Amino acid sequence: MKAQRIFLWLVAAMFFLCSVHTRGLRRCLISMDIHHIEETFQEIKKTIQAKDTFQNVTILSTPETLHSIKPLDVCCMTKNLLAFYVDKVFKDHQELNPQILRKISSIANSFLYMQKALQRCQEQRQCHCRDEATNATRIIHDNYDQLEVRSAAIKSLGELDVFLAWIDKNHQGPSAA
Amino acid sequence: MWFFYALIPCLLVDGVAVLPAPQNLSVQSTNMKHLLMWSPVVVPGEIIHYFVEYQGEYESLYMSHIWIPSSWGSPTKDPECDITDDITATVPYNLRVRASLGSQTSAWSTLQHPFNRNSTILTPPVMEVTKDGFHLVIKLEDLGPQFEFLVAYWRREPGAKEHVKVVRSRGIPVHLETMEPGVAYCVKVRTFVKAIGRHSPFSQAECVKVQGETLPLALALFAFVGFMLILVVVPLSIWKMGRLLRYSCCPVVVLPDTLVMLFFFPFGMTLTSC
Repeated sequence: MKAQRIFLWLVAAMFFLCSVHTRGLRRCLISMDIHHIEETFQEIKKTIQAKDTFQNVTILSTPETLHSIKPLDVCCMTKNLLAFYVDKVFKDHQELNPQILRKISSIANSFLYMQKALQRCQEQRQCHCRDEATNATRIIHDNYDQLEVRSAAIKSLGELDVFLAWIDKNHQGPSAA
Repeated sequence: MWFFYALIPCLLVDGVAVLPAPQNLSVQSTNMKHLLMWSPVVVPGEIIHYFVEYQGEYESLYMSHIWIPSSWGSPTKDPECDITDDITATVPYNLRVRASLGSQTSAWSTLQHPFNRNSTILTPPVMEVTKDGFHLVIKLEDLGPQFEFLVAYWRREPGAKEHVKVVRSRGIPVHLETMEPGVAYCVKVRTFVKAIGRHSPFSQAECVKVQGETLPLALALFAFVGFMLILVVVPLSIWKMGRLLRYSCCPVVVLPDTLVMLFFFPFGMTLTSC
């Protein structure tokens, strides 16, 4: 009986810690204007996705990646994917159209700001990377590397709506005001 | 000596001096509206055009050769450029301007310190407090989609609790409270910009009051007087109408005395015709 009670307490404590972790990320990202980034992307989505020549392939949306991420891994996964876009995708994409370049610049600079905000949160709370998050990130990088660089970059840009919707879903919470 | 001759092509273009670069670049930013300004380049009798470009922190870190033409300010004839639509993230932005006259262009002149929109000056918002009957209504100025308003209102009496309402709609009247007659209600408001995580100062408080018992009493009195008038006037009118009808249908005819004496002696008779 005593052992059962202790076990239940441990489960409750773990559950509480998990929710605090996820709430922590939500509080982190609440001060960012994700909807503005989504609106900016919507303006160029059609043009970007029309340039994707490998429509049957996905980089972000495989079953083992974003959609299988558990709440405990959300912070790490967000950090990794922001780095993926900032360090890889935006650099590999060469945009000549000034209108599109303006929008991509806006998104890239917003991601940079999100990275800094997440960094500040990480210093206060743990944003520990478990194997699940590390493996999911590695799969995304592998998917990217299997394609030619420019095709991979344009496809990843086209899947920004998937990433932003995922952040939004994991970030639902009250306004900072 | 050869070094001096070698420099001459750099100083002259087609025999004409190169345009001077614009000077004194600065950004004035209020309520998330950002204006880049500079001292005008003056060439007598000529109209100078200016080209403005920007570079976010991402570009400066990862692709420093990339500069993006400003969406509104390039080219412009005025020595200023609204860069609000260019500064879309809360990171430092480099800005540069150059002058152009025909085929001549000046060197780029760059803003000394990168501009970050979190340094914008936030001013207390303009509000209009009105009464709609007993309803306390407030109308707020439209500052754009990045602003939300924190409206604080309270009854002006000791120990009153302050209520706070978050308003995201712009330019539309907002109902705060139904007021109690004879009590003053005060309102003040400030803005919050989520993108930079900052509040403006509060506006000056404005107080309004709905008049007390006088208005309902006056209405009641007026209603009573009206009712009494109706009670008196209506029966009187009906009675008068009745008499009028009776006399128009069945008028009473009275014979003059002389005829009465002549025809009906010794009695006077009244003939009634129907």
